[in-house]
Amino acid sequence: MSAKSFRVISIAVILVMLFTACGKTTPATGSTKEKVNLTFWYWAESDAPGADAWMTESVEAYKQVNPNVTINVVPQSTDTLISAFQSAVTAKSGPDIASQWATGPVLGFVWQDALVPISDYVSADEIKNWLNTNENTYNGKVWGASMYLIGIEIMYNKAMFAQAGVTPPASGRWTWDEFITACEKLKTAGITPFIAGDKDGYGGAWWFAHVGMQGLDSTDDLRQAIIGNKDFTDPHYTGWYSSLDEMVKKGYFNEDVMSLDLSQGAQAFSQGQGAMSWGTDGMIKQALTDLGADKVGVMRTPQLGAGKLADTGNATQSITFFLTKWSAHPQEAADFLVYLHTADRLTSWYQHTGVIAADARFDRNLVTDPVLKQMVEWETTGPQIWLENFLPGQLDSDADLTAGQMIFSQSGTPADAAALWQRSAETWRNQHPDELTNWKNWQQ
Amino acid sequence: MLEKKLSTGTGITFRKIEPYLYLAPATILVVLVFLYPIVDIIRTSLLQNNPDGIKTFGFTNYRLVFEDPVFWQALGNNGKLLLSVPILTVLSLLIAILLFEHVRGWLVYRGIIFMPYVLAVPVVGVTFGYLLGLNGIFNTLLRSAGLAFLAQNWLGSVKWVLPSISVVIIYREMGFGVVLFLARLMSLEKEILEAAAIDGANFWQKHFYVTLPQLSGVIEFFVVVELITMLSWVFAYVFVMTGGGPGFASTVMEFYIWKHAFAFRSPGIASALAVVLLMVTTLLIVLQLRLRRRSLEEGA
Repeated sequence: MSAKSFRVISIAVILVMLFTACGKTTPATGSTKEKVNLTFWYWAESDAPGADAWMTESVEAYKQVNPNVTINVVPQSTDTLISAFQSAVTAKSGPDIASQWATGPVLGFVWQDALVPISDYVSADEIKNWLNTNENTYNGKVWGASMYLIGIEIMYNKAMFAQAGVTPPASGRWTWDEFITACEKLKTAGITPFIAGDKDGYGGAWWFAHVGMQGLDSTDDLRQAIIGNKDFTDPHYTGWYSSLDEMVKKGYFNEDVMSLDLSQGAQAFSQGQGAMSWGTDGMIKQALTDLGADKVGVMRTPQLGAGKLADTGNATQSITFFLTKWSAHPQEAADFLVYLHTADRLTSWYQHTGVIAADARFDRNLVTDPVLKQMVEWETTGPQIWLENFLPGQLDSDADLTAGQMIFSQSGTPADAAALWQRSAETWRNQHPDELTNWKNWQQ
Repeated sequence: MLEKKLSTGTGITFRKIEPYLYLAPATILVVLVFLYPIVDIIRTSLLQNNPDGIKTFGFTNYRLVFEDPVFWQALGNNGKLLLSVPILTVLSLLIAILLFEHVRGWLVYRGIIFMPYVLAVPVVGVTFGYLLGLNGIFNTLLRSAGLAFLAQNWLGSVKWVLPSISVVIIYREMGFGVVLFLARLMSLEKEILEAAAIDGANFWQKHFYVTLPQLSGVIEFFVVVELITMLSWVFAYVFVMTGGGPGFASTVMEFYIWKHAFAFRSPGIASALAVVLLMVTTLLIVLQLRLRRRSLEEGA
């Protein structure tokens, strides 16, 4: 190469480099894509043991197909899930993707302008496969991605039923009178009819979500009482506490119900200490392992109420993953959430956790146990509402959880429980006029 | 020259400024760590919510706090916990005096009694949560000893939950009291106690008339510390053992502040509650110090 040619090529190379450097950055493709760092405040392990390991695997797998995207997963604690994100909202800085319990908690942050709707970043064709998106739909937008479904029904000990001469409901569901008759038979046989834990208040809250819902006609029916248009002391809302109170008085619950947490109540069932108990899919799976696959059956909550929601299922996505307003990479964050719904990830989710994925594309054949299959059937058939999600957090804590404890500890009457609901709702309305406005405007 | 003028115009000398310069770092630290948060909490407590979402200044949060029955119950529960301070003080004193008398193995006992104070409160809380369950170890022991009628749902009944928490707090805090009192006892002049013994004072007379007056300063310190503890350092016990329940039976001010601040998204209410708690605590301490001063003046 002559000296002249060398100079010409050198100048050409320098000019190309200069133009490249000065030019506008174009969307990167392939290996030259812009590096993206996403932070994900993640919570799921408490609901679905194995969820953390699945997420670690998913992040690594995503890195293989998207080497420019790094996802930093920060597991969140149950006790600080709301408060930690609230701090981030106040500071307007924090994760790109975060987790909150569905409906009330999620919408609370929507109303604080802390989220962007995921439906703005994910196609409708994709979202239509996600189950229970109605839990976070507001103003025509979907605000978060569901990942799994948790249903809660009554699990029963077949041997104890046989011992007491109790026949499980052929239809999968008793009337309330049939349920009470069965409880009496079990008690007469020296068996604790229903074993539960309400030290943390959630035992009572689950009765509200199941039995309390049966008297209502819609979630809006509940909202009317929350915003003050109706009265919680109306038996329509709180009359069911009398039935729960009657059960406690007749000794149908374990004596130490106030010494056990909700999960400890389920564990006690798995240890054969009672004939019936609430069970999530995970709790039922544990009971099947502990007591034997042929020893456990499931039934739906007995019917007490006659409202339009009396037959509604109670499966919920529990936790919702969503995009934050301050994220610099909402599209990339949404892409990752879509990736979690690919067939391989859905199968892996079930293999890690034993909890079904909230996606119509989830392969139900993975669920082989007939009891768990029955649960899946109930969880995915017809409308599903977890009523506790439709309460402001303060009302859930100060009325729902507390009123249940009042009945279980026998420190108050059903009328006291109803009065507590009304008083707590009034307190919440007075203390949160801004939230009240949002609840009034929320068309359910 | 120390009297070197910094500014002849103002007449300020280095000697005048010097102490403030030494104090400045600590003052800045105190202002940043203590004063700023207090001022900010007071400011936040005055920010009231409005239906349109715009916050304005006013006293609404305080009115709402005083109208809230749970606030009064929480304050009352703190008041009930204060009743354990005299029990704690007397027990700590008794044990410290017994150890001071060098009962056999007193060094071992001192270690054992102090050990709970070293343990983290959540550890103590979780352990007692299991011990005090209806079918927990404590009730099992009672039943096996033929005392089943004494077995209670210690943490699950409205009647027993606060006394049970008080016992757990006393169990842990007693180690601090015993070691504090014992340290002071060991610094007393032995001659005075020996003189009292020679004069014929029995065990109780010796300690009541000779030892206790000399411990008054440290007792006062301990009582003040424990008063503050019962008002504003019991959150961890309540959070771990009962979560404020059953109902609101064990809800204390700190726990209620935490719920409003972090679970209910109401920083204004939480701050108003915090200001009230600060005022109550300050009032109690000032009252206690005044009583102490008056008793000292009467003694003089």
